[in-house]
Amino acid sequence: MANHQAKDFGDLEIGDELGPEHILVSKDLTRLFVRVAHMDSPRFTDDEAARAEGLPGAILPGNMSLSLLTKLVTDWIGSSGARLARIGTTYRSPVISGSSVTMQGFVTHTDAAERTAEVDIWIENEDAERLVIGTATVHFPLKK
Amino acid sequence: MATTLDLHCHSEASEDSRAPVEAYLNWIKLRRHERPLDGIVLTEHRQFNRAADYRALEDKFGIVVLKASEVETDYGHVLVFGVNDDILRRFDFSNVRLNAQELIDGVAEMGGVAVPCHPGRPNVGLCEHYEKKPPLENVLAVELLNGGSRKGENERTELLVTRHGYRTTGGSDSHLVSLIGLCATRFEADIRTIEDLVRELKGGRYEAVDFRPRRKAIPRAVHVEAR
Amino acid sequence: MAVQYDPALIGRVFEETEPVPVTAEQIKAFCRAIDETNPLFTDEAAASAGANGGLVAPPSFAVTFRNGRDFFKHVPRFGTRGFDAGKDVEFVAPIRPGDKIRLASHVKEIYEKTGRSGSMVFVVIRSTLSNQNDEVVAHIDHRFMSRT
Repeated sequence: MANHQAKDFGDLEIGDELGPEHILVSKDLTRLFVRVAHMDSPRFTDDEAARAEGLPGAILPGNMSLSLLTKLVTDWIGSSGARLARIGTTYRSPVISGSSVTMQGFVTHTDAAERTAEVDIWIENEDAERLVIGTATVHFPLKK
Repeated sequence: MATTLDLHCHSEASEDSRAPVEAYLNWIKLRRHERPLDGIVLTEHRQFNRAADYRALEDKFGIVVLKASEVETDYGHVLVFGVNDDILRRFDFSNVRLNAQELIDGVAEMGGVAVPCHPGRPNVGLCEHYEKKPPLENVLAVELLNGGSRKGENERTELLVTRHGYRTTGGSDSHLVSLIGLCATRFEADIRTIEDLVRELKGGRYEAVDFRPRRKAIPRAVHVEAR
Repeated sequence: MAVQYDPALIGRVFEETEPVPVTAEQIKAFCRAIDETNPLFTDEAAASAGANGGLVAPPSFAVTFRNGRDFFKHVPRFGTRGFDAGKDVEFVAPIRPGDKIRLASHVKEIYEKTGRSGSMVFVVIRSTLSNQNDEVVAHIDHRFMSRT
């Protein structure tokens, strides 16, 4: 579960933290995601097939990395009433299925007129190498 | 007065970066105690962002913002400082197969300086190319510390530097706001303009500096099982 | 030589999928796959009392529609072994059980660069997802990378 929750828009500060969340993304979970997301490439479920493609082993689909980072942001949003408006990700290096990763982020910008916050988010491996990087835009509606 | 600059970073003008320049400068202010930068040099991919004017931001934040480029050559990626019209007429920065020797020599002739970056990176770094091809001539400096390097890449560059006697720079290679300034270059001289920077890269005293945090031990990961 | 392609590729819609129905069970299965426990996405009773007035899918559910079976036939290919290089998703409206989602896709951009993986060509596909009321629910820019 995320360690930090979004504050009210007026209390947000640049540098506010999202996560960190440390998870072990098991091969079973990867297989379940692949099934529900209709992704049928063996590079996600079969180590040998993945290696035949030059990969170190079975990898997470990019959509799964994006989904985990989306959850990092929605966990941070919690019950604040804010809405995830946009997310963008770049897959720099494969996330290995069955590995331990850390997801975290920071608030980097707020726009008072739009009532939005921009956040940096990423997934890193145990060597602190950033495998997936991205940003998201969160919109905070006016409270009634 | 010494100047510490992040010599390698990308703004939204680079297609794979998501970092507005103002957000970079806010982050530098916020994290000054960890990464004491005096300025940044935007090295946009395969282009020189001629239209961008950061003087108002420089004044607002009191932080130097200079413009440069990262181009792609037959010996990997190279940072080009002191880009001018002559250089842009001679070299098409959108070409991902520029001739590195011609670039290094041509940029120097036309008043700039070209610095190979992330030399230890596979495919796009000098180290791997030097295994198969003669070393480039007239290289003054290479980027020893790159904030986006993977395990072993900066170390591989150290060997290259020792072997060839190159001077060294550092830069974050950031594409995210919060990664600005992880690595930088400390110059002995005062640098406010691109002319100052080119002069110092060519003849001044400088070194790569590392502001990356020491790695914390990762807590025992939560095992997430399929339900 | 720079990457060669027919400029007429850019902007032309090359696929519109048949509508895909969304069920509560699919949404819950997706939640299990990402260990999502937020009741807004998992509990119909709790979600009915929430801001959306009913169960909605987590935002990233939008990427599970991918494209129809002809998608990869029509995406321009350069070189070998395509990989997903990243996505930009704009979430416009929530996706709900009972929705029928269709995608319309076009090639937005093609460019090349070099990186750790060597020489690469990137094809950016823009997909617009709409529901049965012709309301846009999301825009997705998929970046596909091939090594040349």
